[in-house]
Amino acid sequence: MAERIVIDPITRIEGHLRVEIEVTNGKITDAFSAGTMVRGIETILKGRDPRDAWAFVGRVCGVCTSTHSLTSVRTVENALGISVPPNAELIRNLMANALYIHDHVVHFYQLHALDWVDVVSALKANPAEASRIAQSISAWPKSSVGYFTDIQKKFKNFVDSGQLGIFANGYWGHKAYKLPPEVNLIAVAHYLEALEWQKELVKVHTVFGGKNPHPNYLVGGVPCSINIEEANAVNAERLAFVGKLFEDAKTFVDQVYIPDLVAIAGFYKSDWGAIGGGLTNYLAFGDFPSNGYNNPESFKMPRGAILGRDLSHILEVKADDPEQIQEYINNSWYEYSKGDKTGLHPWEGETKFNYTGPKPPYEHLDFSQKYSWVKTPRWKGNPMEVGPLSRMLVGYASGKPEFKEVVDSTLKALDVPVAALFSTLGRTAARGLETKLVCGWALEFYQQLLTNIKNGDTRTQNNVKWDPESWPKQAKGIGMVEAPRGALSHFIVIEDKKIANYQLVVPTTWNASPRDIKGQRSAYEESLIGTPIEDAKNPLEVLRTIHSFDPCLACAVH
Amino acid sequence: MENHVPSFYEDLKGKGVSRRDFLKFCTTMAAFLGLEASGVTQIVKAFESKPRLPVIWFHFQECTCCSESFIRASHPIVADIVLNKISLDYQETLMAASGVQAEEAYKAVMQKYPGEYIVMVEGSIPTENEAYCCIGGRSALQILEEAVKNCKAVVAWGNCASAGCVQAASPNPTGAKPVHKVISGKPVINVQGCPPIADVMAGVVVHLLTFDRIPQLDGLGRPKAFYSRRVHDTCYRRANFDAGLFVESFDDDGAKRGYCLYKMGCKGPVTYNSCGIIKWNDGVSYPIQSGHPCIGCSEEGFWDNGPFYQHLPEVAGFGIETTADKVGLGLGIATAVGIAGHAIVTNVRKHKEITNEPEEGSKVETK
Amino acid sequence: MRNRSVPLREVHVWEMPVRVYHWINALCITTLCITGYIIGDPPALMKGTEASFNYWFGTVRFIHFISAFLFFFNFIFRTYWGFVGNEFSRWYNFIPLKKSQWQEMGDVIKVDILQLTNKKIDSIGHNSLASFIYFLTFLIFLLQCLTGFGMYSAMSSSFLPKVFAWIVPFLGGDMHVRQLHHILMWGFILFAMIHVYLVFYHDYIERRGVTSSMIGGWKFIEEDVIERHDQNEEAETKKK
Ligand code: HEM
Ligand code: HEM
Ligand code: NFV
Ligand code: SF4
Ligand code: SF4
Ligand code: F3S
Ligand SMILES: [Mg+2]
Repeated sequence: MAERIVIDPITRIEGHLRVEIEVTNGKITDAFSAGTMVRGIETILKGRDPRDAWAFVGRVCGVCTSTHSLTSVRTVENALGISVPPNAELIRNLMANALYIHDHVVHFYQLHALDWVDVVSALKANPAEASRIAQSISAWPKSSVGYFTDIQKKFKNFVDSGQLGIFANGYWGHKAYKLPPEVNLIAVAHYLEALEWQKELVKVHTVFGGKNPHPNYLVGGVPCSINIEEANAVNAERLAFVGKLFEDAKTFVDQVYIPDLVAIAGFYKSDWGAIGGGLTNYLAFGDFPSNGYNNPESFKMPRGAILGRDLSHILEVKADDPEQIQEYINNSWYEYSKGDKTGLHPWEGETKFNYTGPKPPYEHLDFSQKYSWVKTPRWKGNPMEVGPLSRMLVGYASGKPEFKEVVDSTLKALDVPVAALFSTLGRTAARGLETKLVCGWALEFYQQLLTNIKNGDTRTQNNVKWDPESWPKQAKGIGMVEAPRGALSHFIVIEDKKIANYQLVVPTTWNASPRDIKGQRSAYEESLIGTPIEDAKNPLEVLRTIHSFDPCLACAVH
Repeated sequence: MENHVPSFYEDLKGKGVSRRDFLKFCTTMAAFLGLEASGVTQIVKAFESKPRLPVIWFHFQECTCCSESFIRASHPIVADIVLNKISLDYQETLMAASGVQAEEAYKAVMQKYPGEYIVMVEGSIPTENEAYCCIGGRSALQILEEAVKNCKAVVAWGNCASAGCVQAASPNPTGAKPVHKVISGKPVINVQGCPPIADVMAGVVVHLLTFDRIPQLDGLGRPKAFYSRRVHDTCYRRANFDAGLFVESFDDDGAKRGYCLYKMGCKGPVTYNSCGIIKWNDGVSYPIQSGHPCIGCSEEGFWDNGPFYQHLPEVAGFGIETTADKVGLGLGIATAVGIAGHAIVTNVRKHKEITNEPEEGSKVETK
Repeated sequence: MRNRSVPLREVHVWEMPVRVYHWINALCITTLCITGYIIGDPPALMKGTEASFNYWFGTVRFIHFISAFLFFFNFIFRTYWGFVGNEFSRWYNFIPLKKSQWQEMGDVIKVDILQLTNKKIDSIGHNSLASFIYFLTFLIFLLQCLTGFGMYSAMSSSFLPKVFAWIVPFLGGDMHVRQLHHILMWGFILFAMIHVYLVFYHDYIERRGVTSSMIGGWKFIEEDVIERHDQNEEAETKKK
C-alpha cells in the first residue's frame, strides 16, 4: 500500500515549496513538487521603461540577489545592441562571483548541513578528538581543543535554556544521520562561523552596487565610477578592500567549506553517492566572460547540453531558437490563449493566472490536474536539470582542464567513480567544487580590472543608447546567466520604448516544475523516485535530495 | 528556579560573550537608537533581566531578502545576538524542521506565550485570491490572522510587509496588501526598505526588547529613530546639490567626482531612510555613494513613481517619458495658440465695438 | 452695443491693500515659478569645480522659500481683506452662491469667450466668471502652500512648516506631494497667461481702464451701470 506524505513547508530553502510523496515498502514510488506562491512580476513589468527592469526583477529573489538584475541588463543590452565597457564586464563578473561564493557557502552550512549534521549529537563529542580531526583535514586556525570545548559549552547552554529557536523540532537522532559526534561538533562550529563570515563577502556588492541585498545595476555598464584620485568613487582603497574580501573568501572556501564537504561526503558516499540522481539531461548556459559577453567562447563556464548522461557529446544551446526552449502550463495554474497544451517560446510567453486548485485550507493537492505555480520549461522537449552539477558536467565533458582537475582529484580523494556525480551527493559536491573554481576566477578578474585601470581605462558605462529616442520602434532581446542555482534566461520584447513582454525562465523553474504534457517529471520529482524512507513521519531523506538542488521558489514562480 | 528562563545576558554569558563585549554592544545599540548615555543603562538592565523574546517569523509574498539582510547585521556581536537574544522559534529560511514539525513549532509558541510573542512578517498578503500564497495548505491570510490574535506586536519587515512592494506595483495582479491593511487591533511597526538595512532591523528588535514597547512611529508607521530624515538631508553629496553640481550622465566627469545624482533621478529628496547615516553592510557604502541614484525603496508605492532615472514620475496616461513639464508645456502652447486665436477673432467679431470711436472732440463725461 | 459717448463715472474699485497684495502676489508667483522650475530641472551651469566654492542651487532654493513665505502671508492677508475690504474685494464675490452670478458667468462665456453675442456685462468689480476663476486660483494657492510647506516641514524645524507635516503622509509620501506641487506650477503659469491676456482684452474692448485699475484703483464705469448697481443694492438691503 502506498502511503501519501506531505511536506509543506519545505524549510531551509527560499520560498514556498510543497512536496507530496508516495511511499511503498519504504521507498518513494511517486513524487510531486508544487510552488504555492505567486506574484506576477512578469505582468507587472509590462509597459515599463526597460532601463528600470533590473530593479523589478532583482526583487524576484533576495537570496540569489543581483543575478536577475544582471540577467535583465544583459537582456535589454542584447535587445538594443549595447556592449558594455570591459571594466563593467569585470565588475559584473566580480559581483556575480561574490554571489556564487556567498550563496553556496550559506547553502552548505545554513540550508543544507542540518540534513547531514545532527547538532544534538555534537553535545556528546570529545572536543580533543574534534580538534584532532579538524587539524588533520585543514589548516584553518580555529581548531584548538579549547575552541571546540567553548563551542560545545555555548551550544549546551543554548539547548539547556529550553528555547531551541531555529533548532526546535529538528530530526535529531534520526537513523539516517551518520556522522560521529566530533564531526557534528566541527560542523556546528563552522555553521556559526559561516553565519558570521557570510556578511563580509557581500561587501563586494556594497562597494560596486551600494548595498546588499539588492545591489544596483545599470543598463550599459555599472553605476559606480572609477577614479583613483577621488574619495567619492571606486579608488585604490575600495579596490584593495575588494581584493582582500576575495582573498579571505578563498581562504574560507579552501580551509573550511571544501574540507568539511569532503569529510561529510566521506561518511555518506556509499549510499547517497547513488541516490537522487534523477534526470539524465543537463543544461548550462555558461558564464563569466573573460573577453566580452557576446563572445561565449571566452566564458569561464562553458555553454552546452548533455542528454542521457552522454558526456562524450555536448549539444549546442540556442535560447533564441523557438524550437529549443518552450514553457508549458498544462500542470500549472495559468492559461494560454492558444490552449493549455501548447508550449510557448518565452518571446511569445504569457502569464495569466488561472487557479483551479482546492480552496485553502486544504489537505492535499489534486495531481490529476494543475498543481503548481511553477511553469514547465523544456529543452527540445526534454526535461533538463540545471545547476552546479550540470555546469560541472558540461565543463568536465568539454575537457576544460580546470574542471577536469577539480573533479578528478575529488573523485580520487573520495575514491568513487564518475557515476557518483549523478546523485544527491554529487550535486552537493559539484556546488563546492565550482565554488573553488569561482574563487580562483574572481582573483583573476580582479587582477584584470587593476591592469585596465593602470593602463588608463576607467570607463564603466556606455551611454550611447541611454536615451530612448535612440531606440528602434521594436526590439527583442535575450539575457543568459548562470545563476548560482543554474541556467537563467530573461526574454524581452520592447515596443515604443516600453516593455511589451518580459518573461523569465529560471533555474528553479527548470528543476521544480510539474510534469509536462508527455507526463515527464522534472528534476525534483524524478530525483526522489526510489529514495529509501526510513521513517515516514520524519522524511529527512526527502529534504536531503530536495536541498541538494538549493531550491528557490520565489525565483521559480516570480 | 526550575522554570527559570535565562535572560538575554545570561544567555550571552553562557555563549562565552564577555561583559566588555556585552556593554559595547549595548552602547552601540543606544547610539543607533539615538539614546543619551542614560539609555545605555536601560538597555543593559533590560538584557540582564528579561527572558528571550519568542518570535514567529512568517514569509508570505516575498523574496527572502529581508531575512538575508537580517543576517547581515554588522557589528560582530550583533550577528550572534540577533540569533540568540530572541528565540526565533519559527523562521522558514533557517529552521531545522520542515512540514508538520515546522508548523508545530509556531503553534507551540502561540500556546505557550499568549500575549507575549512577536509576529514578524516578511512579505505581503494576496487578497485577490487567497490561494496565491499558501503554506501547509493554509493561506497567508488564514495563518496571519490566527497568529496575530494573541501576539504582543507585529513587525512588518521591508517594503513588502509595510507597503506591498514590487508585487503590489500596478496592476497588482495578486491584490497584494501590506500587513497593516489586513489585520487590525495590533500595533504594526513598518520597518521599511527593500530590504531594510540590517542594523536598522537589529535596532528595532533591540528597542522592543529594551523598552518593552513600540518605538515612536512616523505618519506611515515607520520607527522615527531610523526614518525621520530624508536620505537627501544626510547625503554626503548634499554640498554638490546646493552648489548645483550635478551628474549629467552616468560615468561622466561629474560622476567621477562624486557630484549630486539629482538629475539622474535621485529620489533622496523624497525618501526617508538611514542610508546616509548608518549606511549598508557595516557602513561600507550606500546606493548614492556607489554612483546610483536612490530609487526610494523605503517609500510606499515607489515602484510606480518611476521611471527611476527621471526626477519626477511619469504622468499616467501620457506615454513614456511624459513628465508634468511636458504636459505643462503642451498646455502652455495650446493656451498661447488659444489666446492668439481669440485675439484675432475678437478683432473680427467685435470690430464694430472696437472701431466705435466717440466722435473727435465729443465729450466723455466723467463725474 | 456699448455707446461710446455715454457718461462715465470714476469708481474706486481696488483699495490700496488689494493693489499692493496683487503686485506682491504677481511678483511672488513669477519668482516661485522661475525658481521652482529650476529646482525641478536645474541647468548644468557648473562643471569641473568643487562644491565648497559654490552655492547657486542653494540660493535658488533659498529664494524660492523666501518668496514662498511672502506669498503665503500675502495670501493670508488677502483672505482677511475679503472680510473687511470694500464691496468689490469681499469674499462673497468669489463664491458663486447666487443664481445671478451663475447667469452672469454664462453671459461672460457667451460674450467674451465664445463671442456669440455682444450683450453688455454690468459688473463693476470682477465679473462673475473672473471671480469664480479667482476663487479656483485661491484654492490652488492654498494647495500649493500646503504641498510646499508639507515638503518644507522635512527641511525645517521651525514652527510654521511643522504645522503642515501631516500633509505628506496624508497624500501618500513626499513623491506624490512633490509631483502635485510641480503640476500646480503649470496651473499658475496657465492662469497668468490667460489672466494677463484677458485684462488687456477687456481694456481693449470695454475701455474702462481695467489695466491701470490695479495700479491706481480707479475704473471708469458707465452711469447707467452704476445706477442699476445701486438699485440692486437697495433692493437687497430691503429684502433683509
Ligand atoms: C506659486 C507658487 C509656487 C510654485 C509655482 C512653486 C513651484 C515649485 C516647483 C516647480 C518646484 C520643483 C518641484 C520639483 O520638480 O521637484 C518646487 C519645489 C519646492 N517648493 Fe514650491 N512652488 C510654489 C510655492 C511654494 C510654497 C508656498 C512653498 C512653501 C514653503 C514651496 C516650497 C517648495 C519646496 C519645499 C520645494 C522643494 C525644494 C527642494 O526640495 O529642493 N513652494 N516649487
Ligand atoms: C500685467 C500684469 C497684470 C495686470 C495688468 C493685472 C491686472 C489685474 C486686474 C485689473 C485685476 C482685476 C481684474 C478684474 O477686475 O477682473 C487683477 C486681479 C487679479 N490678478 Fe492680476 N494682473 C496682472 C498680472 C497678474 C499676475 C502675474 C497674477 C498671478 C499669477 C495675477 C493675479 C491676480 C489675481 C489673483 C487677481 C484677483 C485679485 C483679487 O481680487 O484679489 N495678476 N489683475
Ligand atoms: N532559481 C533561482 Fe535564483 C538563483 N540562483 C535565480 O535565477 O535563487 Ni533565488
Ligand atoms: S521588501 Fe524588498 S527586499 Fe524585502 S522581501 Fe520585499 S522585495 Fe524582498
Ligand atoms: S545625490 Fe540624491 S540624496 Fe544626495 S544630495 Fe543629491 S539628490 Fe540629494
Ligand atoms: S534606494 Fe533605498 S537603500 Fe537607501 S539610498 Fe534609497 S532608500
Ligand atoms: Mg516565467
